[in-house]
Amino acid sequence: MRLPPQPRERIDRSQRILFTFDGKVVGGYAGDTIGSALFAHGQRIFSRSFKYHRPRGLLCCSGHCPNCLMTVDGVPNVRVCVEPIRDGAVVEPQNVWGSLERDVLSITDKIGGPFTPVGFYYRTMIRPRRLWPVYEKVLRNLAGLGRLRKDGAGHTRYDVEHRRARVLVVGGGEAGRAAALAAAALGPDVVLVDETADLVGHELEGVEVLAPARALGIWEGGLVPVVAGSVLHRFRAERIVVAAGALDQPLVFPGNDLVGVMLPGGVRRLVRDFAIAPGSRAVVIAAGEEDLEIAGELREVGVAVPEVVDLTSTPARRIEAHGRKGRVAAVSVDGRKVDCDLVVASAGRQPAYSLLAQAGARVEYDESRGIFVPTNLPAGVEAVGSVTGEDCVTVDPVRTTKGAGGDKCFVCVCEDVTTKDIARAIDEGFDSIELAKRYTTVTMGPCQGKLCQLASIRLYAQATGVGEAAVGTTTARPPWAPVELGVLAGRHFEPARRTSVHFRHEEAGARMMWAGPWKRPYAYGERPEDEVRAVHDSLGVIDVSTLGKILVEGPEAADLLERLYPNRFGDLRPGRIRYGVLTSDAGRIMDDGTVARLADDLYYVTTTSTGADSVTAWFEWWNAVWGYDAEIVNVTGALAALNLAGPRAREALGRLVDDPDVVSAESFRYLDAKALVVAGVPCLALRIGFVGELGYELHFPSPAGEHVWDRLVAEGARPFGLEPQRVLRLEKGHIIVGQDTDSESNLLSAGMQWLPKMDKDDFVGKLALEHFAERPERERLVGFRMEEDVLPVEGAQIVVEGRPAGRVTSARRSEAVGGVIGLAWLPPDRAEEGTRFEVRVDRRLVGARVAHGPFYDPAGERMRA
Amino acid sequence: MREIFFPKRMWRPRGDLKRRYDVVIVGGGSHGLATAYYLAKHHGVKDVCILERSYIGSGASGRNTTIIRANYRTPEGAAFYRESVRLYERLSSELDFNLMFSQHGHLTLAHSDRGLVVAQERAEVNKLLGIRSEVIGPDRIRELCPELDLSDKPAYPILGALYHPPGGIIRHDAVVWAYARGADRLGVEIHPYTEVTGFERSGDRIVAVETTRGRVECGQVVSATAGWSSLVGKLAGLRLPITTHILQAFVTEPLKPFLDVIIVSSQLHVYVSQTDRGEFLIGAEIEPYTTYKSTGTLSFLEYSARHALELFPQLEKTKVLRTWTGLCDLSPDYSPILGKTEIENFHVSAGWGTYGFKAAPIVGVTLAELVATQKTPALIAPFALERFYTDTLVSELAAAAVSH
Ligand SMILES: Cc1cc2nc3c(=O)[nH]c(=O)nc-3n(C[C@H](O)[C@H](O)[C@H](O)COP(=O)(O)OP(=O)(O)OC[C@H]3O[C@@H](n4cnc5c(N)ncnc54)[C@H](O)[C@@H]3O)c2cc1C
Ligand code: FES
Repeated sequence: MRLPPQPRERIDRSQRILFTFDGKVVGGYAGDTIGSALFAHGQRIFSRSFKYHRPRGLLCCSGHCPNCLMTVDGVPNVRVCVEPIRDGAVVEPQNVWGSLERDVLSITDKIGGPFTPVGFYYRTMIRPRRLWPVYEKVLRNLAGLGRLRKDGAGHTRYDVEHRRARVLVVGGGEAGRAAALAAAALGPDVVLVDETADLVGHELEGVEVLAPARALGIWEGGLVPVVAGSVLHRFRAERIVVAAGALDQPLVFPGNDLVGVMLPGGVRRLVRDFAIAPGSRAVVIAAGEEDLEIAGELREVGVAVPEVVDLTSTPARRIEAHGRKGRVAAVSVDGRKVDCDLVVASAGRQPAYSLLAQAGARVEYDESRGIFVPTNLPAGVEAVGSVTGEDCVTVDPVRTTKGAGGDKCFVCVCEDVTTKDIARAIDEGFDSIELAKRYTTVTMGPCQGKLCQLASIRLYAQATGVGEAAVGTTTARPPWAPVELGVLAGRHFEPARRTSVHFRHEEAGARMMWAGPWKRPYAYGERPEDEVRAVHDSLGVIDVSTLGKILVEGPEAADLLERLYPNRFGDLRPGRIRYGVLTSDAGRIMDDGTVARLADDLYYVTTTSTGADSVTAWFEWWNAVWGYDAEIVNVTGALAALNLAGPRAREALGRLVDDPDVVSAESFRYLDAKALVVAGVPCLALRIGFVGELGYELHFPSPAGEHVWDRLVAEGARPFGLEPQRVLRLEKGHIIVGQDTDSESNLLSAGMQWLPKMDKDDFVGKLALEHFAERPERERLVGFRMEEDVLPVEGAQIVVEGRPAGRVTSARRSEAVGGVIGLAWLPPDRAEEGTRFEVRVDRRLVGARVAHGPFYDPAGERMRA
Repeated sequence: MREIFFPKRMWRPRGDLKRRYDVVIVGGGSHGLATAYYLAKHHGVKDVCILERSYIGSGASGRNTTIIRANYRTPEGAAFYRESVRLYERLSSELDFNLMFSQHGHLTLAHSDRGLVVAQERAEVNKLLGIRSEVIGPDRIRELCPELDLSDKPAYPILGALYHPPGGIIRHDAVVWAYARGADRLGVEIHPYTEVTGFERSGDRIVAVETTRGRVECGQVVSATAGWSSLVGKLAGLRLPITTHILQAFVTEPLKPFLDVIIVSSQLHVYVSQTDRGEFLIGAEIEPYTTYKSTGTLSFLEYSARHALELFPQLEKTKVLRTWTGLCDLSPDYSPILGKTEIENFHVSAGWGTYGFKAAPIVGVTLAELVATQKTPALIAPFALERFYTDTLVSELAAAAVSH
């Protein structure tokens, strides 16, 4: 049933829209919300309350309360009073057993009271302990509002826009509009956002209007996220003007939650926007002119208003609502009972200060007007209109706390907290507002205190006798209104790094895996051991473009590296390479790699695949501290790197260079660095042996990645992945930083006593290493062989007398070595060559023996060949 | 149960401060309150007061995401937290207050090889110490948490998980209140809104504590001030190797049961649980910068939302209700600093980073023993402040960074 056309109605009566509610078809008009259409259709009960399952109806009609939460198209907890109507929508009630009209669980309201006072769950279900999981299951099922669809994967497209504005005005009421127009008169880039659709029809010359849209908060550096539909606008504005207005405050009296007890704003919206008469006989109980005017407005549309109570002129009043089947049927004011089906009840309006408080403003109590007002606004933030307290006044919202019928008085409709609960909490010792909030959960529900903060503070002040100012408010916690995770998340985007040879790996059927930020081939077939064998017997190639690559250049480059590394690099001759390990100030191993000196003043440093950025930052940081004349350039992405390894490597490389002599054993020795042109591509070739065979690591511009790869493969090199590489390096006893070491490992215990040059003046970590040398060792990293052919997991524990005494960090089966080999941390007294120890594998202890040195080609003849 | 019908005060109203207490505990969080409770309960030491600058539980104890678990990496850490979990399992009945300990299991997801190895190591250590913990594959994960996106669609597909059946969440405020009530009923005095502003020292001893409500003499002092530890230490003339950061978290609107287990992903820097109230509780890593300023950031909400949806795309339309921050006192090795200090009668519980709530009961038991007997219990010996002088650190980096 609609009223005759209203001057500012938002509905388009020429356009019918149909949707289903609880299985039945309901019609409305374009411009309706699902809530208004349902109300017009005659629906009065919109939800059941959280704890007592009491029927609840429209209260605020502005998306601020919990009363109209329903499930729409499978999405739970939708506030239908502000959800635009759409064709074919499937709307269902939630949190009911049975139906909205008859909810089995409303029994808790009738008889549950004495058994379920505030915090009852803390006092019950404690013994016997084994029954708690059963009770818990019941509790869990009773709690919660809507139900999430388990399969309902999201398909909404969310987006983020980064916006700048000169002036951003939040709130499109009178004050906000005026502020926006005034700002627009002075210049461009003025944006006005409003969470309602009320701005339609207002002339706002020069102002960009974003509505309905919600500012969620004022965050770091004046960042204001504004949600408009599925787009998150991240605003940075020179001036932020908050004109968030004020919020109607409910009155607290017995039966104040009955269906038909509404706030003035909600009533106004139904009449003005949707041409709906919210009732036929109304009682208006309010404070302040504006709210009392609602009586006239209702009469104008034909609603009888037999009684208007002005709370400002007659402060002390006993009010009580009487219901029938959950709906208001009468209200008594000081004992006089008036029949009605609508009670417009309000204690006045309280500034909606939470955006400001969250931005850092203070909130103070104004005794004379009974409101909390924001003060000390942060720089760049202004407030205008009702949010400042202008035209706001509230009377004591707490009218009567116990009715003749004994019906409950709700302070908080979200959480079903009654005045009795608050009184009890205070008696029990929860005597500060923060404790009470946590105990009673008042202000912690979906409205986040918008409708209950003031009343609860007032009650506290009265009960404890300390005054509102001393009680204070609880901390304002963003967001201003509940916001979908999806819109915060934005469009899904997770970057992965790929090398320039990536697609060759995919074509070759490689199984790709994450390695730090990179995608890398695990292996190219089901049998990584075949790839290992190819490297040992013939020729393999692996894409190592992911290695960090850093150029260090300048007259003092050598000094910088000398001081960064425990090793010596000043005496490294141009054209030579040395393995280096970086240590932290605390002497812990941070990263490792090779350092090649290309010229007196130029070094080429490689790092682990995950270490490129952190090592570059580390170098830069220290260089800034020390001020050496050296430049640091991270060229990781610019260069590809391929490691050609195997006994046939020299011969194959010889065919790809102009003169095979340049790669002969004599002219290109182990640990030499050389500029070569390979397959027409200028390369820096490093002769190193991470995988234990004759090998050349070729570094060259990334764009040539596929070309060089193809030529190497054409020469018979078999691609090998990370897994075979791990086997190969383990056979050589080479560590992987981060796998074989952890954040506590140091060079001495990791078996690299030879590496640090303690006679150097200084290097990062030297002091710590000196200390380590003086103290008893706690553990040592050693190689081992299993006595049986069982493979322990990486992380397996070494057990001594039933207790963990060490751990396996790497273990693989090696064909070349014949058996299972690995690396492990052991107590120093068990780290001697040949010492037997036991590893726990699948609940069983299996013997192993310490084996120092490389397992494969211990003398290193093959890689030096 | 009785108290449902005959409500009783939880604790006495705050009284005046006495001139002297045998033990002064600074910090009315879970650790301070638990220590007081066990001092009175186990050792009969009842001349104890707790000084709290705000209301009880106002620090990290009332802000944390309450993950309780024992599946740490080092044998020292795992054994310590194991005892705490055991105490928590009996705590509701011991304190006669339902703490709603919801033990539905804890899953640390591995999205990479490296992640799996770390999980394996933790599982192996745990098993040896009698802690239920194992590495499981996608099929078993699906049984425990069918809601999780286990396809290879996500950027970081799930390869496996460390499964810890006793892991769970609890009602944090209830723990604070129950310990407070327990301590109060045994005679301990609780003084909220009483800030410690200084210490009076005589040589290596503290003789009195200065507060905003006057001076109190003391036999021994325990500082259980978590995020404020280094500041309180400084007041006493003690330097602690601690940096203070903020950690943020948020909850959504309550929904019907959807998720039973706790899901943690270090790779995605996010963890998700659903409380008995039905809210999803979502958190991340600490912020990398140090600060005492408790304003949160939008970027936290954005990346946590993004990562939570990677795991549970169904939550797309689920709404964030409120976010908050708390202080975290981070030690260099991600293990606590517990027990004696170089000031003879000043003991600390600090360095709790993002994981101290689960330790409250065992900290209470062991610190009470230390204060009462002057001997450091073996369980906490590895966590002495001294380790930073002897460089015998206990690294929990791999097991504590996002896992809380
Ligand atoms: C967002 C977040 C999530 C977390 N998640 C988890 C988790 O899932 N699992 C887990 O185990 N841990 C978690 N933690 C960590 C955990 O909360 C803390 O480590 C733990 O609560 C510390 O307890 P406490 O009692 O020592 O400290 P607090 O509870 O912080 O208590 C310290 C008290 O000292 C008071 N105080 C400080 N200075 C003074 C002074 N000068 N005078 C008097 N009083 C003072 C403070 O007001 C405060 O109440 C999380 C922390 C945060 C912030
Ligand atoms: S009636 Fe819809 S939110 Fe209040």
